[in-house]
Amino acid sequence: MRSYEIMFIVNPNTAEEEIDKISSQLEGIITSGGGTVEKIEKMGKRRLAYDVDKHREGFYVLFVIAANGDIIKECERRLRVIDAVIKYITVRCDEEARRLGKIKHYRQKRAARRGSHPKPAPAQSVEEAMQ
Amino acid sequence: MKSAKEKRPAGQKQYYRRKKVCKFCVERIDAINYKDVKLLSQFVPERAKIMPRRISGVCSRHQRQLNDAIKKARNIALLPFATE
Repeated sequence: MRSYEIMFIVNPNTAEEEIDKISSQLEGIITSGGGTVEKIEKMGKRRLAYDVDKHREGFYVLFVIAANGDIIKECERRLRVIDAVIKYITVRCDEEARRLGKIKHYRQKRAARRGSHPKPAPAQSVEEAMQ
Repeated sequence: MKSAKEKRPAGQKQYYRRKKVCKFCVERIDAINYKDVKLLSQFVPERAKIMPRRISGVCSRHQRQLNDAIKKARNIALLPFATE
């Protein structure tokens, strides 16, 4: 299982129920395929940075899921088919999360070791962050 | 700071240049997220091009991450590819 974020933009003229329907459809695909939905966030209407299919605005929805490749494939296929969805992106984020965990762990260890010297010099901290 | 105090041949202008530092290193921002438009838009000036490192002072590692994030954000219409 890998963690992904799927973000898609719905046509701003669609009704709220329609958006809910699309989300529940997607959720159905994910759960039936053995994945889990961690978060569904409706980010609301936003101005698009450029025109997409002559739309200047869009309704953003974000899914945070844990799934495997087949489920993602199916989700993307489905998003392509639905007319109301004008754009989507899938981002894999488990590797990034692992990297962050490592950094955090390292920082904690370092902080524990430095307990007696609570304040490292700022010039030094830049060097540390680079490594 | 040091270089401004060095002796230069006559006629050459002396000016003070502040040392640039990487924003992400100093503020300890580990993750550069493509959804964080506010942060990313600091690195895309008017023409919507990605700001070069020599101007922003971002270190190479963070510039790479920043690049990826900006390109993702462009893909989902959070940031423009170009402005008119």
